[in-house]
Amino acid sequence: MARVYNWQIGREMSYWYPEARPKRQFAAVFDINKCIACQTCTLACKTTWTSGRGQEYMLWNNVETKPYGFYPLAWDVKLLEMLNGQRWKGRVYLGQTIFEAAPAGERVLGWTPEAQDYAYPNVGEDDCAGEISRGAELSLPHTQWFFYLARICNHCTYPACLASCPRGAIYKRPQDGIVLSDQGRCRGYQECVKACPYKKVFFNPMTGTSEKCIACFPKIEQGLQPQCFLNCIGKIRLAGWLSPPGQARPDNPVDYLVHIRKVALPLFPQFGLEPNVYYIPPIHTPQRFLEQMFGPGVSEAIAAYRSAPHDPELAGLLCLFGSTEMIVARWRRQGDWVAGADEKGVEVVRVPAREPVHVRAAFDSQRRIMRTNCP
Amino acid sequence: MSIVTRVLVGSSVALLAGGLACKRAPVPTLEVIGIPVQKVPTDPGDSMWERAPEHVARLLVQDVVEPRLMKPTTSEVRVRVLTGPGEIAFRLEWEDPVRDDAMDAGRFVDACAVQLPRKLEAEPPNPQMGEAGRPVEITFWRADWQAWVEGRRDDIRSFYPNAAVDHYPFAAPSLNPGSAEQVEMARLYAPAEAAGNRRSGPREQPVEDLVAEGPGTLAPAGKTVSRGKGRRSARGWRVVLTRPLPAGLAPRARTQVAFAVWEGSHAEVGARKMRTGWIPLLLKETP
Repeated sequence: MARVYNWQIGREMSYWYPEARPKRQFAAVFDINKCIACQTCTLACKTTWTSGRGQEYMLWNNVETKPYGFYPLAWDVKLLEMLNGQRWKGRVYLGQTIFEAAPAGERVLGWTPEAQDYAYPNVGEDDCAGEISRGAELSLPHTQWFFYLARICNHCTYPACLASCPRGAIYKRPQDGIVLSDQGRCRGYQECVKACPYKKVFFNPMTGTSEKCIACFPKIEQGLQPQCFLNCIGKIRLAGWLSPPGQARPDNPVDYLVHIRKVALPLFPQFGLEPNVYYIPPIHTPQRFLEQMFGPGVSEAIAAYRSAPHDPELAGLLCLFGSTEMIVARWRRQGDWVAGADEKGVEVVRVPAREPVHVRAAFDSQRRIMRTNCP
Repeated sequence: MSIVTRVLVGSSVALLAGGLACKRAPVPTLEVIGIPVQKVPTDPGDSMWERAPEHVARLLVQDVVEPRLMKPTTSEVRVRVLTGPGEIAFRLEWEDPVRDDAMDAGRFVDACAVQLPRKLEAEPPNPQMGEAGRPVEITFWRADWQAWVEGRRDDIRSFYPNAAVDHYPFAAPSLNPGSAEQVEMARLYAPAEAAGNRRSGPREQPVEDLVAEGPGTLAPAGKTVSRGKGRRSARGWRVVLTRPLPAGLAPRARTQVAFAVWEGSHAEVGARKMRTGWIPLLLKETP
C-alpha cells in the first residue's frame, strides 16, 4: 500500500498504487435540483452502449430516487453499514476509507451483488410518504422529501476497481483520467464488481467479462460531451476538466463550481476514491442525510446555490449547463451574456446570463377568454 | 460397556476401516507417476485410468498474494496420469457437493488446472504462477465451458429461462441474419469477443492453455491445443486434461507438477483458489 493525498477527505490515505494524477481529469457537475428522473440519460446510454447480450439489466447510467431507491439493491447502505461509523472533524475525515478498512486477504472493503440485485432499477422510485399537512400515512425516517440521484462511473482519482484487479486489466488514461476496463485482458473474476463502492462495474454473463461506463471517450476525444450529458432534458449536467485544488482556474467551469464556489460536492467522499462526478446537493433534504452522502461541505454548497439569484456569475454559469454538445473548457460572463469556449479559447456557445422569463396574463383580452393550462 | 466389548468394537472398526482402505487400491503414491498407454483415454470414467497409481494431493489455500483465499475448502485432489505418444493426460478427481456451472454476477464456477514448468530444470520456478523469465504452462478447465461443449444454449435464457429481452440492435428485422452488416452490429455490442477474449459461450473444448510468469501475468497461450472433459457425479467432479508432453519430458524423465481447484459456490475465482506446491512427476517407461 502506498500513501497518497486525497483532497476530498483532507488527508493522506492508503492506496494500492502510488499517486499518479492524469494530465487532466475528466469531471462532471450534476445539479440534483434540476433532475426530474425522466431517464432520458439512462436510455441514451443504454441505446448507445449496452444493448448487447448479457447487458439486459446493465445500466452504466441510472437515476434512482433517494432515500429508498437503489441500483443495484442497497448498493450504498450496505457498504455504509460495513464501513461502520464515518466521522469527520471539519473537512478532515477521521474514519477509514474502503482501502484502509480492507479485511485481511483483500485489497478493498467491498461486497458482490447478485444478479437479482440488478433486477429492480426503479425500486423506491418517487417514494416519499403522504401529505405533510395531514400527517404521514407511513411512519418512516424520511417523510417529507425525496430526490433523484443520477449516477455514472465517477472516473475516480483512486479507483477501487483498478486497485482490486489482480490482472491490472483496469487502467486510468493519463490523457484524460477516464477509467477503462481492458476487454481483451479481463478474465471475469469480478474483483472490480466487488470493490467499486458505487457498483458501476458490471459482470456480463454472455461475454464473461466485467464492463463499465467509458465516459463516451470517443466523443471526449473529439471535444464533445458524453451521450447522457447531451440528452439530458433537465440540462442538469456539465462535463469538463477538473484541476487539483491548488491549480484551480476561475475561468474553468468545473473548477469554479467545485473548488472556487464549492457548490458541487463528491458522492460519498469518505469511501476514499476521490470521485470526479460532483453534485449540487438538493436544497430541501435534511442536512444530516446530505452530509453522509456528500460530506461536510453541504451547508456551504447549499448556501452558495441559494445565493445564485443574486449572483450573476454563478447564475450565469449554471445557464451553460446543457447549452451545447461541445465540452466547455473556459467560460466568462460579459454583461448579460455568458460565453463558453473550447480548450483553444474558441467560443463554442453564448447564452443569456439569465434565462428570459415571460409571464402570460391569465386573461386574454384580445379573445376575451381566461387562459388555462388545464385541459 | 465392558473393557472386552470396547476392545472388540474397536477391533471391528479398525478391521472395517482396513477393509475399505484395501478396496481403494492402489496405494497413494508420494509422487505423481505417469503410466504409458497406447492411446490416452478421453473419458474420465474409462477403466484404463485404474492402471495408473493414484496420488492424493493435499490442497493449500492461496494465501500468498491478494486477493487471498482465507478459508480452506476442497481439501484434496486425487490425480492419475497416463501418457501416450506425445501426450500426457491428467485425471483430477475431487469432492464437491454443489454443481456450479454458470457464471453471473456474484456466481462463480467450479474449475481445475494443471501447471507444469515450461523448462525441465532441477530447480523449478516459483509454484505460484512461475516467475519472470521462467514461465509455467497451465491447462485450465471450467465447468461452464463444459456445459457449453455439451450444448448449452448461447443466450440469456440459458441462465434465466424467463428473461425478457426488449430488443437487440443486431436482431433487427432489417438486418439479414449472418450478413456482414448483422455480424458487424453484433460485434459492436460484445467488446470482449471483438477483442478476441471469449470468456463465455460455445466452444470446442472446455479447456484453455495459458502461460504465466508470476501472479497477475496469466495470459492465453498462442493457441489452445489441450483437450478436456469433465464429468459430474453426486460426490464431485472427475476431469481429464490432456496436453502435449512438455519439450524434453520423455519416459524416465522427471519434472514438477502443480494442481489447483476452484469451488464456485464458495466464490473461488482467479487467485482465490485451493492449490498445491510443486509435486514431483515421474514418467514410467513401461506400465
